[in-house]
Amino acid sequence: MASRFWTQGGDSDTEEEEEENSEYDGSDAEQPAGDNSGAAAGSRYLRGQASDSDDSDGQHRVVKSARDKRFDEMAATVDQMKNAMKINDWVSLQESFEKINKQLEKVVRVTESVKVPNLYIKALVMLEDFLAQALANKDAKKKMSSSNAKALNSMKQKLKKNNKQYEEIIAKYREMPESEDDGTADEDEESDSEVEEDPSKIVMSDEENEDDDDDDEDGHDEATEGDGVWERKMSKKDKLMDKQFMKDPSEITWDIVNQKLKEIVAARGKKGTGRVEQVEQLTFLTRVAKTPAQKLEILFSVISSQFDINPSLLGHMPINVWKKCVGNMLLALDILEQYPNIVVDDTVEPEENETQKGADHNGTIRVWGNLVAFLDRLDSEFFKSLQCIDPYTREYVERLRDEPLFFVIAQNVQDYLERIGDFKASSKVALRRLELIYYKPQEVYDAMRKLAEQTGTEDGLGNGDESEKNLSMEENRGPPVFVSIPELVPRKPTFSESSRALVDALVSLIYSYGDERTKARAMLCDIYHHAIFDEFSIARDLLLMSHLQDGIQLMDISSQILFNRVMAQLGLCAFRAGLIQEAHGCLFELYQGGRVKELLAQGFSQNRYHEKTPEQEKAERRRQMPYHMHINLELLEATHLISAMLLEVPNMAATAYDPKRKPISKTFRRLLEVSERQTFMGPPESVRDHVMAATRALSKGDYQKAFDVISSLEIWKLLRNCDSILQMVKSKIKEEALRTYLFAFASCYDSLSLEQLTSMFDLSKAHAHSIVSKMMVMEELQASWDQPTKCLVFHNLEQTRLQSLLFQMADKLVILAENNERAFEVRTGGGLEGLPPKRREGQDYTAYGANRWQDNSASGVSQGRQGSGYGGRLGYNGRTGGSAQAGAGSRGAGGHYGSMGRTSYRATAMRASQVEGFAGMVNLSRAGRI
Amino acid sequence: MANTMGRSFLQAAATSEEVAPPLRVVQIEGLAVLKIIKHCNEFLPSLVTGQLLGLDVGSVLEVTNCFPFPIREEDEEIEADGANYQLEMMRCLREVNVDNNTVGWYQSTLMGSFQTVELIETFMNYQENIRRCVCIVYDPSRSAQGVLALKALKLTDSFMDLYRNNNFTGEKLREKNLSWVDIFEEIPIKVSNSALASAFMTELEPELPVKQCDYDRLKLSTAPYMERNLEFLIDCMEDLSAEQNKFQYYYRNLSRQQAQQQTWLQKRRVENMARKAAGEEPLPEEDPANPIFKPILEPSRVDSYLITNQISNYCNQINGVATQSFNRLYLMKALHED
Repeated sequence: MASRFWTQGGDSDTEEEEEENSEYDGSDAEQPAGDNSGAAAGSRYLRGQASDSDDSDGQHRVVKSARDKRFDEMAATVDQMKNAMKINDWVSLQESFEKINKQLEKVVRVTESVKVPNLYIKALVMLEDFLAQALANKDAKKKMSSSNAKALNSMKQKLKKNNKQYEEIIAKYREMPESEDDGTADEDEESDSEVEEDPSKIVMSDEENEDDDDDDEDGHDEATEGDGVWERKMSKKDKLMDKQFMKDPSEITWDIVNQKLKEIVAARGKKGTGRVEQVEQLTFLTRVAKTPAQKLEILFSVISSQFDINPSLLGHMPINVWKKCVGNMLLALDILEQYPNIVVDDTVEPEENETQKGADHNGTIRVWGNLVAFLDRLDSEFFKSLQCIDPYTREYVERLRDEPLFFVIAQNVQDYLERIGDFKASSKVALRRLELIYYKPQEVYDAMRKLAEQTGTEDGLGNGDESEKNLSMEENRGPPVFVSIPELVPRKPTFSESSRALVDALVSLIYSYGDERTKARAMLCDIYHHAIFDEFSIARDLLLMSHLQDGIQLMDISSQILFNRVMAQLGLCAFRAGLIQEAHGCLFELYQGGRVKELLAQGFSQNRYHEKTPEQEKAERRRQMPYHMHINLELLEATHLISAMLLEVPNMAATAYDPKRKPISKTFRRLLEVSERQTFMGPPESVRDHVMAATRALSKGDYQKAFDVISSLEIWKLLRNCDSILQMVKSKIKEEALRTYLFAFASCYDSLSLEQLTSMFDLSKAHAHSIVSKMMVMEELQASWDQPTKCLVFHNLEQTRLQSLLFQMADKLVILAENNERAFEVRTGGGLEGLPPKRREGQDYTAYGANRWQDNSASGVSQGRQGSGYGGRLGYNGRTGGSAQAGAGSRGAGGHYGSMGRTSYRATAMRASQVEGFAGMVNLSRAGRI
Repeated sequence: MANTMGRSFLQAAATSEEVAPPLRVVQIEGLAVLKIIKHCNEFLPSLVTGQLLGLDVGSVLEVTNCFPFPIREEDEEIEADGANYQLEMMRCLREVNVDNNTVGWYQSTLMGSFQTVELIETFMNYQENIRRCVCIVYDPSRSAQGVLALKALKLTDSFMDLYRNNNFTGEKLREKNLSWVDIFEEIPIKVSNSALASAFMTELEPELPVKQCDYDRLKLSTAPYMERNLEFLIDCMEDLSAEQNKFQYYYRNLSRQQAQQQTWLQKRRVENMARKAAGEEPLPEEDPANPIFKPILEPSRVDSYLITNQISNYCNQINGVATQSFNRLYLMKALHED
């Protein structure tokens, strides 16, 4: 297996070598491989020879071992044939013959030689002789079983046919079998000796492959068990590498390193390529790199192969590899810092020998690579690892401590990009940084800052202790590093004092250079951050000005999740600020479908009716937020339910007898219904139970109990200034209790003194006065103040049933009249095309009709308008009645809606009655109000 | 009584051969009226029906007696019993020498909501056998206000023609010049008593100048009656809107179909021109197989006519009650002022 790796890894060069080798074999020029130090002539082989001499010592052997394997197989088959001959078993002989032919093909393919191996020829000769012998022995032939005889005959024919191809060689062999024998013997010896020379190699490579297979299977187990395996490999690898490079450090040239790099890179992603091993090899190469540019190039391949180590989408990169990767990134940045003439680019394919240019080269050196992509990858691996690690373990905390590490790199990459003027890319990096801090409140931010400062000295280097040890070990063993790079870029992240300042800086960079998605995400992060810092008005303005909510449906899912998170945070912020209406507005959509967990990517919600496919589940798992970014769901639910309660309870009281009024929060209503259906009310346990208990108390006007239940919730401890918030909640509950009381019992009072109200609800006079006055202004309460006695005087203007019926009828008449006009339009040439397919207004009107009374007395402005409407309708009604009374006689011949004259008459009549109705109606409603 | 009967027999014999003169008046015996009222009031919440017996005398239809039908239940067997009961009843009445000539039926109603398709169908059933039949509608709720709410109805001849052909398209109605008021024809009722009965009644008449119905008439509270009326009216208007929607839908479909037909015709004409130019036979300009030529069924107008009738009925009632109420209120006001 390992040998295949090598052979396949070799490009045409190595193949040529093989060919060459086989030619050597064929022409009796037995040369011990490796001794051949560039003596051969011919420019074509120059490079190949050079590598032969130094680093391809192993390669030679490996090539042989590939062939050897084939030869061994062949030899085994020949042995089988010999055995079969001994017992005169032609059937198995025939099988073996076919097998050897197949093997021959393979051998030829591997060695790419035209010549047939001697072993085969030998076997053929042997077979021929034995066949002749068997044919000669008639008695034995007769004794054979039928199948055996049959096999013998077919064998005879096949062999004849087959041997024709190799007639000459066979003849040659028959002439001088000795020399050939020697050759093969030599060859065998040679291969034997070589196997002995490095017996560990084949075993090792096999082992490694096994390890690799393991890696494939369990990506993250590797991290734990990796250590042992790693060390073992290290030693093996060192042996390997040492052979190549330790021999003669001064002889290592750019070419050699480049050659090796290409070889390793070409093997990437192929089956049987050890990923870990590849990283090791590349890391080794970085130390022997000749020029900084080359070092950089190799570093890039190290990084990308480090990313390859974990192949699965779900698992994350092992943490130590991640850390090493960070170290490599920093190293790369150091190089870039020291040699400003090196340009990293992934758009143009650099020239072949670009990296050969040394440190003293003037002018730009292009190296292929994409720092931003690496950074993105690092970030997503970090994110993934946090997704995978159990948040309740120490491991998670440890992992979180790596965050500053990433921050360093991001900062350095951003600095570098800004230095070279690539602001577009730097805005992307800025977004990555922003997404790490936007959700952190000041306390967490400060903690992170402190941590970064502390750990800066310890392992700010970017390499964990372990990896550092490894590095030092390697350095001890390996040759001295050719290109030593001082640590130039800072290893410690710098954080500004307040997170706001940092966010502002990042956001302004993104706003000026980012693309649409980056900008939108940055905007969302910005809003989120504002919301965390209790700046509701700024956050709301930002959200409304950006019109994000219009286009959010079209964006990718992760942005939608971010948007949901922002809305949730905004709702919490509004609630903390005491803006109940706004808080409810932000939150109710999240709770509408009952899948808030899914919407915030904080867990999975089961849906009974809709099975998810495994793909969907996987995708959803990949979207999950790491635990430390979660928004507390209990707090969110409590906020939502409390704000819904504060809005809904007075609303329910106001519309108790009017089932047609729409509820403010349907979710809340449903929950309330469910809780009311319970036969036994236990003490509240969940957040929902608490709020429902509070709702029951509040609808009875018992504000104290409602508040007690609410304040007994655990979650308030999570809030920063929970006392003031509870105070706010209390005053809101009192207000709503007062409102509820007034709605529910206003009809029972003629008057009510303000003092009574203030004592009932423990409110200040001014407060109670303002609430009641507001209700009057909003026309929720038909009452007025009697200033001298400080009393509330109610005007009960309950409409009678007859009145409400009349309103209903008026609305019906409007519909009828409208329909009739449409019918007329058809007669007069207009189409009905513009008509909605089904008129739903009918229902709406009926729903609305009952409330007209209140609306009618609502405001002076709309009064006239509505009055005129009614007037028109009433006039119309009267007319209809009149004509009905008049009966058939007055209708007469033109009874149908035929003539135009009649239409116009009707119109004028209507207008006239409208005017009348207008005046009458206004007066009437005035009279009604006084 | 015998006297009147004798006269009506004569008249019947005289007019049988002539062309039947239009029915002018329904003359109903006091006995029949009282029986109807009694029957309807006793079963008040539910609606009841009964048979009218009497004679058809020229332009006068005399109703001399009646008998109630048992309350019908939703069962076919009992329905068959009902028919038997009717026949049996007729036989018995004949034996005691009462008019056993069916001239129609009576029914009680709630707030005058009687204009239904069922009524028309019953009319048509009766009309098959009896050339002249009437339906007397009694409204107990209205009678509670001090009026004798008795109405005699019959279908107009033109409407019956149309109904028989089941042909209620707008065009036909226009042809016949039939509007919604022309479905039912109300015939004036004349209550007649025999001279003996009248004399006896006068004997029995109490000294008091006012009667119970006069008190009823002075009842000031009209709200329940008005409310119910309005409710019914609103229901009717809803039905009417539904009917209107039906028509709008129909017209929209029709106009769409016509547009389709036009385009098809245009295409066909162009094609025919081309064929003519090529010397071929032109294709016919109508293709009955084409679905766009399938006529769309026009919705029947009976329902909307009936609803309109009903609405007008309600309006009349409301109007009447309102007028009376106003009168009473003014009267009361004047009394208070005094």
